[in-house]
Amino acid sequence: MAPADLLLVGIADPRLAEILQRNGYHCTTTPDIASIVPAESSWAMLLVDARLIDRPLDAIVEQLYFLNNNGPIALCVDDPGALSPKLLNALRLGTLECLYYAEVNNGLFLSRIDRVLLNHRLSNALSQRQETQQEKEQLQRELMLRDKVVDHERDLNANIIASIASGVIILDSAGLVVLMNEHARGLLGVAAGAAVGAHFGAVLPDELCSLIRKFTAKAGPSGCISEVERMRQKERFLQVSAYTMLDSRLETAGGLLLFVQDITEQEQTAVQLYQAEKLATVGTMLSGIAHELRNPLAIISARSQRAIARKDLDLPTAVKAFESIEDQTERCAHIVNSLLDFTRNRATMPRYHKIAEILDETLTYVEYQHTFDNIRVIKNYQPDLEVFGDRSRFVQVFLNIITNAADAMDGRGNLRLTTTEAGPDFSIVEVNDSGSGIEQTVMHKIFDPFFTTKDPGKGTGLGLAIVRKVVQESGGHVLAHSQPGSTSLFVKLPRTKERLHG
Amino acid sequence: MGERILLVDDEKDLLEVLDEFLTEKGYQVSTAQNASQALDLVGREQFDLILSDINMPGTKGFELLAEVAQIRPTLKRALITAYDVRDYLRMARDHDVGNIIAKTTPFNFDEVELLIRNILTEDVFGLSHYVQGAISQTRLNTAAQVEPLIARITQDFPDNRQRRRFRQALGEIMINAFYYGARSERGDRKGEWSFDVTLSPEEEITVAWGMDEEKSGVLVADQKGRLTKKDVLYWLERNTTKGDDGLSHGLFDEHGKGLFITREIIDRLIINTKRTARTEVVMLNYREGLYDGFRPLWIHEF
Repeated sequence: MAPADLLLVGIADPRLAEILQRNGYHCTTTPDIASIVPAESSWAMLLVDARLIDRPLDAIVEQLYFLNNNGPIALCVDDPGALSPKLLNALRLGTLECLYYAEVNNGLFLSRIDRVLLNHRLSNALSQRQETQQEKEQLQRELMLRDKVVDHERDLNANIIASIASGVIILDSAGLVVLMNEHARGLLGVAAGAAVGAHFGAVLPDELCSLIRKFTAKAGPSGCISEVERMRQKERFLQVSAYTMLDSRLETAGGLLLFVQDITEQEQTAVQLYQAEKLATVGTMLSGIAHELRNPLAIISARSQRAIARKDLDLPTAVKAFESIEDQTERCAHIVNSLLDFTRNRATMPRYHKIAEILDETLTYVEYQHTFDNIRVIKNYQPDLEVFGDRSRFVQVFLNIITNAADAMDGRGNLRLTTTEAGPDFSIVEVNDSGSGIEQTVMHKIFDPFFTTKDPGKGTGLGLAIVRKVVQESGGHVLAHSQPGSTSLFVKLPRTKERLHG
Repeated sequence: MGERILLVDDEKDLLEVLDEFLTEKGYQVSTAQNASQALDLVGREQFDLILSDINMPGTKGFELLAEVAQIRPTLKRALITAYDVRDYLRMARDHDVGNIIAKTTPFNFDEVELLIRNILTEDVFGLSHYVQGAISQTRLNTAAQVEPLIARITQDFPDNRQRRRFRQALGEIMINAFYYGARSERGDRKGEWSFDVTLSPEEEITVAWGMDEEKSGVLVADQKGRLTKKDVLYWLERNTTKGDDGLSHGLFDEHGKGLFITREIIDRLIINTKRTARTEVVMLNYREGLYDGFRPLWIHEF
């Protein structure tokens, strides 16, 4: 049995320490409880003279246990009969051990100390074993809980990645696809299951691959990347943001995290805003110029008319010249007036109108023209479908579109007018012609002011620009679709008052 | 001796050509290139009409006419402009100006002369002033006659565009003449208007129509003379200007839109009115988009 340290508190009999030390115990003595220095040393057991217990028992026992780190405490008594009932009770309950001075001589004292220490060690061991068991169970519970949390977090992560409105792609440091959410697949047109584990070069669209290469080439000395670029994927505009993923164990640059966002709508809005601003500026300028031109044009016309009317002007070439001046002035005036019509920000009188009536009215303006003689008009109207807006402006819109359609057919073909409802808020008019079609290379320009494919003097190039302006101001949209032999302009107009400025 | 006209315009060339033309037509013409020259002449000499450009350096046409009205209240006044007359409707209302001639391209000498003659002679009533060809005329005394009459008038007109425009304008103007002109009904009680009314001979409406080489024309006249220049300018202005929402001020007005719509779709809207005696609305439409984009202001009130 290993030698143990004992603390003897207020033990008057010097033999006690002597015997104990002879039996391998190491003893420290101290005169009273107050002089015990806590935690100075660790004692296997405290031996306290019973006469020192002069305060309420509970407090003193607690103090002693505290001082001895919950080690056993023994009271050394002369006469058990002199002990208070409380102290006796404590002894009986085993809270305190009891040693008798009387037994110092016969060796029982020593064996009692041995037994107390052994008991203590046993009970310690036992309780430790119990603790281990409990700890194990506790640990198991904690482990289970942690698993649940991990599962939950994993699900949550998967959920976040799946439901995020951006495409998310993670590449490892070797460029293999570690993760790719549905959204990314949708945006980039990658088949489900085709990506994970493959090299990005093999699965992602070329333009994105070159962006990734550009990103990685740009990486600084730390290897960190934080870049944003735009790209086109078919008809859509995409914004790609790339961020380095830190390797958590090594704290060095690891994989690459890519966010892919569809910014087509924002892009279109921005383009439209830019266009609108540009048009407004150009419009103000044009309107100023056009107005200024009307004075000189009126004077040129007045002068040439006066010249032609002169009786003494009998030179045929001069008459011809003045007539030509007059004609060309009229032509200029026509252009100037179209410009003013285009730039005029007129007050509107929106009302509810039947689309069919507006289309029929428009047709009466053109059908009598000879260019319409060999054009078959096919009406496919949804009865009673309404639009809300300014009637004369709508007529202007369809007049321009139908005139273009007739020109595109060169006076021969089918003109189809179809009306359909588009949800509760909009109506759509499709004007389809069987003409030569619009070349794809100029498709994006057809709504620009002054863009024309007609011969000089045949068109001002403002027709479709006016169409777009009026339709947009009416709260609608216009778009074109063309292939040889079939060109459609779709005009979407509000059906309700609420939509007009929505 | 012809009437004396003072022409004011900063465009020297136009002054010259108009001077030449009007002199040829028998008028005595003086010219000024700005407002101060004009005021100087008005102070020194007698004129029957001052015809001024609107947009000149320094004092503009409207202000010049206002000053002239102070010095010579009886001097007849009119404006001329190459700009869009629609933009001046509010000013016209504020300054009580009924006549703004348009410098059209091709320049319309006949119209300029006609308007000047109208103002000077005050002889304005009757379609024959405005259309050279044969004129048909009829009387209207029940609302039920309106639609058949419109159909009858428009069938003579040469193309669909003209027909449709006149159909719409005539609908507005005849109904106005019937209920506001002859009957003096209230616009906010449209629901209560009776369609069975027959107008008495003193209330009857005259409708005349005709054509010449370059235009078609229709006249609608009542015998009450209730419409005023002020009202016409008010309604035209309300429907031409717009609020911050882009909608015209007059959008939700009970009435007044008829005149505006007519002025928009008909090339020339002429209003002649003699208090308590006669209101005439003359509508002229030119062939083939001639003078498209130019709309003079043409109101005579006596």
